[in-house]
Amino acid sequence: MWIIVAVLLVVAAFVGSQLFTHMVSDPFRTTAPLDVRAYLENANSLRGNVYKIEGKVEEQLAWSPTSGRLFSISVGNGEDVLPVLITTQFNSENIQKGQRFIFLLEVTDDGMLRTKALTKA
Amino acid sequence: MKLPLAILLAGAGLAVAQVPDPPAPVPVPENQNPHSSGGEQKGGSPGATKGNSSFLGKDVPFLDPSGEIVTWDGKNWSVTDNRLLSARFEKYLNAPPQTTEADREYRQIISRIMDCLAPGRVTPASQDEAFNLLEKASRFPDDSRLCEAIAFQVIAAWQARKNTERILIANKNLEAERKRLEWNAKLAAEGSMLQSSGGGPKKEGYAAEWQKQQQTKRDMELQPLLTRIAEIQAALKANQLKREVAELQVKIEFQGLIVTHFLQRRYQHAIIGSRFYRSVFTDGDSQLRVGEDAKSLFSKTTGMPPTLGTLDSLANEIMRDVDEGIQSFKYLMEKGELKSASDRLLETFMVGEYMPSVRTLDRDSKRKALTFVQKGRQLISAIEVKDYTLAEKLVQELNAMAKDVDTSKATAAIETARQVAAMHIAKARNAAVSGDKATLEAELTAAAEIWPRNPELKTVSERIFDQGDVHARALVDLEQLISLKNYRQIYEDRMRFIAAVSMHPEKQEQLRKVLANMETIETAIIQAQEIEKRGDFAGAWESAERAFRQFPDDSKLNQVRANLTTKAADFVRAIRQAEELEEKKQPGSSLAWYLKAQKKYQSSEFAKQGISRLTKEILPDAT
Repeated sequence: MWIIVAVLLVVAAFVGSQLFTHMVSDPFRTTAPLDVRAYLENANSLRGNVYKIEGKVEEQLAWSPTSGRLFSISVGNGEDVLPVLITTQFNSENIQKGQRFIFLLEVTDDGMLRTKALTKA
Repeated sequence: MKLPLAILLAGAGLAVAQVPDPPAPVPVPENQNPHSSGGEQKGGSPGATKGNSSFLGKDVPFLDPSGEIVTWDGKNWSVTDNRLLSARFEKYLNAPPQTTEADREYRQIISRIMDCLAPGRVTPASQDEAFNLLEKASRFPDDSRLCEAIAFQVIAAWQARKNTERILIANKNLEAERKRLEWNAKLAAEGSMLQSSGGGPKKEGYAAEWQKQQQTKRDMELQPLLTRIAEIQAALKANQLKREVAELQVKIEFQGLIVTHFLQRRYQHAIIGSRFYRSVFTDGDSQLRVGEDAKSLFSKTTGMPPTLGTLDSLANEIMRDVDEGIQSFKYLMEKGELKSASDRLLETFMVGEYMPSVRTLDRDSKRKALTFVQKGRQLISAIEVKDYTLAEKLVQELNAMAKDVDTSKATAAIETARQVAAMHIAKARNAAVSGDKATLEAELTAAAEIWPRNPELKTVSERIFDQGDVHARALVDLEQLISLKNYRQIYEDRMRFIAAVSMHPEKQEQLRKVLANMETIETAIIQAQEIEKRGDFAGAWESAERAFRQFPDDSKLNQVRANLTTKAADFVRAIRQAEELEEKKQPGSSLAWYLKAQKKYQSSEFAKQGISRLTKEILPDAT
């Protein structure tokens, strides 16, 4: 009996530590994740909102010296790929294919996802 | 009726074959149709007499054996191809043979009459028997009462002879009266002479006066006698003249009847009449008293003066010739030589239509000849109207019917027409192909003129005109299909439309564009199907979709695209969503869908192009 109680306590301690670690490593944990389906259906309905996504860098689609870099980021199980504009303020960040990032994004007037902040996941 | 007579007279010369100097053949002018009756002869016939003639028209009939042309009264008549003769000959060929009991009896009577009057055997009793049989023979319809006419003429002759005898008796009495009066006159003259010489005054002055008175007295006594004698002599002369004139008149009438029978080709009746004539008029005067033209006709055709003997001889010769002609006909029929047989029968018929041998010819043989003659005439007509199809058929039939028929001229005419017509038709066909309507029309007209009922001409014309109709219909269809944008139908019937626009350059460019577009569609379909076979449905759809966007009305392409849409549903949905959002000016979402589509099909051109487009839109200054 005591043995069972001891095992449960150990498991609870492990899960708790993991949750704590996760919460501490996501700086945008207070920001709502982007509803990818809603975005794909109608981005206009999300204009002005700020969301976060976590995804893998697929490809750099374009680079503008004034506007920044446009990347395709696969999210979820990799089926959906979102275009994310990483503005020039993050030029110092080395973003490469296959890297996972957590992006804080704003839905612009034309429905684009503009990066407000990012961090490696 | 005149024409057979003319032919008879002309033919009579041939029958006896005694023309010493046959006249030159009468050339038939080229512009005259010898088959028709009525061509004017400009030069006149060799036998023609000058000036106006009353006997048988202006000219004596003349037969040119080389062309079977009879020239008469300034006109040319074809013996073998004349409507009048043809009709009569056909009537004869269709008539049953005259072999009934009545026919036989009639012929026997005629034969018996001729026997009774045969030279050397004629007696008053046989003459009477022949005369009695004339009345019997005239009852038969075939006789046409010709024997009755002979009988009347014989009676007239006998009456004339009786009158002559009465005149002779009267003359005899007159002669006796004249002799008596002459005797009385002689006696009266002698008595006066005695009285004057025996008495009277002696004184010279009175004596002369007395002589004068005596002479006057004698003259007064003789005058009545002399007057009466003169009257008797005048009566004698008048009676003699009357007798001669009456006899001559009867002779002329009798001869006229005999000649008429001869000209009617009633030779037996002519011979019977001739023999009666000779038995009635036994004075040996057998010269025919006919006009100068008739004399000329007889002398030129027979070479002999016109006498009863000549006529008799001619009739007998013609009768023999007719019998020989019928025998010849029968023999030729047996040998299957219908051409010669028909010609011989026609010749024989024209000369001896009423002869027993002609009238008794069996109907089957005549029908065979009729069929042959009809086909021969049909052949001539067919060639005249240029119906060479019928002519060819008739030539074959005639060749099968008769061994001796010469169809070389007809065959040559047919072959010539066929070749020349074929040449024109070939030219017409070429003109039709090249669209030369003027030449086409001219060549078809020329071909039709040569052979109007040419079956090849009909076929080719129909084909050419049908082709024209087909082209016209095709052009209408083409315009309709273009207006309906049914290019698929145009493509499937492209051969028809290519042919149709061959003569319409303005349509050719339109059709060329349609067919080029269809080639593109077909290529896209084939390409899509090939890609589909590799299992690349998205790629196949893209291929079909690309063509569809260019040619959205093609049903087949639509079908292929629809099938592929089902098979690559997710990819297609991504592309369509991307495009829809792109159109709605939502580049973010649109780009997301393009990226999703590209994720599903890396080689997608649509996705690639869409991404490129939107990227440039989002980052215009992107490099």
